[in-house]
Amino acid sequence: MACPFCGLRPLEEFLFRKTVPNVGAGSGVHLGAGAGVDAGDSASAYAQVYLRVDSAEHSVEEWQHVAGCRAWLLIDRNPSTGVVRSVALLGGAQ
Amino acid sequence: MKRASRHYSALSLLRARLSGAGFWRPLWTGNRLEQAYDVVVVGAGGHGLATAYHLAKDHGIKRVAVLEKRLVGYGNVGRNTTIVRSNYLLPENHYFYEDALRRYEGLGRELNYNIMYSPRGVVDLALSDDDFPVLARRGNALRLAGIDAELMDRAALEKFVPALAPRRRRRFPIVGALVQHRGGTVRHDAVAWGYARAASALGVDIIEDCEVTGLHTTGNSATAVQTSQGEVQAGAVVFATAGHTGLVGKMLGVPLPIETHLLQAMVTEPVKPLLDTVLVYVAPGHAESYISQSDRGGMVLGGHIDGFPSYTREGAWHRLEDVVRATVEVLPQLGQLRLLRHWAGTNDMTMDGSPIIDRVKYDNVFLNAGWCYGGFKAIPASGAACASFVAKGTPPDLIRAYCLSRFATGHLLDEPGYGPYPVKL
Repeated sequence: MACPFCGLRPLEEFLFRKTVPNVGAGSGVHLGAGAGVDAGDSASAYAQVYLRVDSAEHSVEEWQHVAGCRAWLLIDRNPSTGVVRSVALLGGAQ
Repeated sequence: MKRASRHYSALSLLRARLSGAGFWRPLWTGNRLEQAYDVVVVGAGGHGLATAYHLAKDHGIKRVAVLEKRLVGYGNVGRNTTIVRSNYLLPENHYFYEDALRRYEGLGRELNYNIMYSPRGVVDLALSDDDFPVLARRGNALRLAGIDAELMDRAALEKFVPALAPRRRRRFPIVGALVQHRGGTVRHDAVAWGYARAASALGVDIIEDCEVTGLHTTGNSATAVQTSQGEVQAGAVVFATAGHTGLVGKMLGVPLPIETHLLQAMVTEPVKPLLDTVLVYVAPGHAESYISQSDRGGMVLGGHIDGFPSYTREGAWHRLEDVVRATVEVLPQLGQLRLLRHWAGTNDMTMDGSPIIDRVKYDNVFLNAGWCYGGFKAIPASGAACASFVAKGTPPDLIRAYCLSRFATGHLLDEPGYGPYPVKL
């Protein structure tokens, strides 16, 4: 994996944290058959905390270079091939 | 129409021996896709086949189809490390998995198919003084629920598992263990084949090479599924496609709290009998790993997930290394064995580590998913409960906690206790 600061480094130096949902918070959210759920606030919190993107072709993910510079990274990958499309600093360059 | 598989018994097997190959028939039949079914189950893995079997057997629903993109048992039911146990800490989980284990105990008889259940004991090792009270707490929770659990000190453990007797110096001493004696192994393929055979005998159609590509809906109901072999009317649809639930979420237009990660397993060259239990251990500095010895003598190893989304079914090398190193810490005598095979399966990882069985978006669409790395041991309970949910319209108490809304209401079942992530940071 290519870290913007450290260059090409072994995969085990990096730690995956989460996939980044591409839906706006709360949009398209469905809570299942459970009754009595407040579809307002809880749906939005649910979307922000628990929803993930599970795609076989395209995944935008938060990673950290834990055993290196410890920078948080935004990585665009293809989970079916493992090919990394782009690596950027999470939150943009600062 | 092919003829159904015969009933197996000591007498019939003796007759088969005398009468030659003519006795044997295909385990399941009925490969022609009809135009309409009462229930269409998507996915002929353990959960899909068990659900179809129980729909036909317990609820008298005769027109049931199981549609499978590849082959019966091609997915995780044939890729796991064959371990069954019910030693979970949380009540919702241990009652559910105990139901599954009890069903496994009688499953060979129920399906009239040898699933090779081997209650050899699942041994959770404590490799530090801190591990021991954590295991004791789990053991107490299990005993309060009437589930067998025995806490063993080092002396008792070395008698129970002679392979752990200290022939060589270990970096980390073994302090003790929590043992579930009824836990053990089950021949995984036999579970898929046994359910397929029994379901087929009850009239369930098992259609292989039939990919579901879309869902037709009217209002709040699904009316049909689109497949690679044409459109099929469906009174209800059950998705049991753990490992590819992301695709189902996309088809339904429902984002889910699931990521798909890889879990690896590996087998060494065969050796003489060394280990007659399942060992589970978290060696310091390593993720959890487990080992058992197969009937052929190979040591079957597994570990934690690779830790990032992947559909490649090719495990990451550093995770394989971690499992092997942790194992050699615990059983140094295995250090010179060579690995023979290694493979990976795609796991639905939910954001609390527990499964989801719920009705989703439509009145007659059911999702059976999110099995993480615990799907195989759950199959008999999952099939029975899911079938009851589909037939009666309300979930049985056993799986009420596995609703999707628990993430929104905060009623999480976070067994490992490290928050909404599949791996610890």
